[in-house]
Amino acid sequence: MLEPLIQNNVVCHALEAMIFASIACSILGVIISRMNLSSIGFTMSHAAFAGAAIGMFLERNAQVAAVVFSMAVAALIGPVSDKAKMAADATLGVLFAMSMAVAIFLISYMEYMGKGLSASALLFGDVISLYREEIYALAAVCCLTIVFVLAFYKEVSAIMFNMKIAEAAGVRVKLVYYMLLFIVALSVALSLNIVGGLLIFVLLVTPASIANQFCFNLKSMFIAAPLVALSVSAIGVWAGFEFTLPIVPLVALLLTGVFALSVMLSFKRRISKKRY
Amino acid sequence: MSVIDLLGIYTAYEGGDKPVIKDLSLSVDRGEYVVIGGPNSAGKTTLLESINGLVKITHGSATVCGLDVARFADTVRTRVGYVIQNFYFDPFTPFTVEQVVMMGRFGRLGLMNRPARADYDAVQRAIALVGIEDLAHKSIGTLSGGQQQKAMIAHNIAKEPEVMMLDEPFSNLDFHAREYLQGVLKELVRTGIPILMVAHAFDGLPDIRIRLVVMNGGKITYDRDCTAGEVDGIIRKECKVNGKC
Ligand SMILES: Nc1ncnc2c1ncn2[C@@H]1O[C@H](COP(=O)(O)OP(=O)(O)O)[C@@H](O)[C@H]1O
Ligand SMILES: [Mg+2]
Repeated sequence: MLEPLIQNNVVCHALEAMIFASIACSILGVIISRMNLSSIGFTMSHAAFAGAAIGMFLERNAQVAAVVFSMAVAALIGPVSDKAKMAADATLGVLFAMSMAVAIFLISYMEYMGKGLSASALLFGDVISLYREEIYALAAVCCLTIVFVLAFYKEVSAIMFNMKIAEAAGVRVKLVYYMLLFIVALSVALSLNIVGGLLIFVLLVTPASIANQFCFNLKSMFIAAPLVALSVSAIGVWAGFEFTLPIVPLVALLLTGVFALSVMLSFKRRISKKRY
Repeated sequence: MSVIDLLGIYTAYEGGDKPVIKDLSLSVDRGEYVVIGGPNSAGKTTLLESINGLVKITHGSATVCGLDVARFADTVRTRVGYVIQNFYFDPFTPFTVEQVVMMGRFGRLGLMNRPARADYDAVQRAIALVGIEDLAHKSIGTLSGGQQQKAMIAHNIAKEPEVMMLDEPFSNLDFHAREYLQGVLKELVRTGIPILMVAHAFDGLPDIRIRLVVMNGGKITYDRDCTAGEVDGIIRKECKVNGKC
């Protein structure tokens, strides 16, 4: 998509992938960090990891298996929390452990059987060798995320405010909540082997936290978080190729640096010394 | 037909061995001002949440605004106001009072529909009625408990409900605010909207016919009309008779 602007195909694909992953994850991050669901990043990336392991074990396409398995896990979060009367966060913990166990079990088993599996690509991503289809899929998820937030802005803001009050107002809380989980699952599963589990978690949490330091209302958070994520990712991709540095950890470090800076500069934390 | 019709309802929470509400029947008509009293854990909150379907009834039938609550809980909730008992909004909550008041209308607006002129007008009217114009653009998490209660009352008035339920809505409010808001509720009753209010303090009740319902152990043990001045004495007596309070 950016080919006319950037001559080098590898750089171009890396930049596109990072931009789409940044936008999708940081928008979703604004919602889930407000709802104390940040650990969904952990859970879903490990679910995708387990799915990929299952795919390899069954000698099927690992990427497709990752998407399918993480959808299944996402579909479980809501109902399991409802049934078990647990906070969604606890359910996420249980499902995280389950996914991890499945993945490790299968990987150890495959090693034992002499079949190798490169797990490091899933954990740390690989933005250098991408297929065109992977970028299209990420672009689609990015659009889906934006359309979801625009179409259900009212419902999303009500459940971010207070689930119980939203439900009492007659908002279709469950429906929107389950759609949200579904989209998060899709984004994480598709971003996983591109940006890796680590950066997904950073992209879900950090841009939203940066926006939260400066924004008083939700609209500005939904704009600021993806802008920050996108700019930092672009800088990271450029610096990575320019100085031959590993792009993904670099972007994670840069975002964390921006976060530290924003906490120091935040005017929300300033205490007035006025006497009148 | 009554606005609320409960017939022999039972309500139980998951894991509880006994029902919290037991064989309770209650009908409320238009224009009634119902004050619900009773000791802690009598089931007052559970009763309100059975009416708008936030908790499911296990036996009996509940009809509200002509709808079967078990089947149309979402729709019932768009037509019944409910000021919840406990809430906490942290100081970083990214919503102003005005935005929170508008959320009262989100259910009735339906999925995907945007607020229109009429919705913004209803929000302004509710804010003016409750007297929180000066707070409209403040972030809700930075307000005092009493100011937040006023905002939640405005949220439910903006909803333009057919029934208004309030669960200890004045617990953080000073006497003047209580008296003022009781006047607001009195106006709602005058327009025909029935009110169900759970309370423990009864000062400032409006000088209109009050239907006093006392609950004990998941049942209604007293249900009669009285005047504002009599409420306190009756509750004391009713609770003593039944041991607790
Ligand atoms: N979510 C819940 N799960 C289990 N039990 C509950 C729940 N909410 C309330 N209860 C129980 O139901 C009973 C009635 O509670 P409630 O309706 O809140 O009483 P009230 O509002 O009159 O103080 C109490 O014994 C309480 O322990
Ligand atoms: Mg209560």
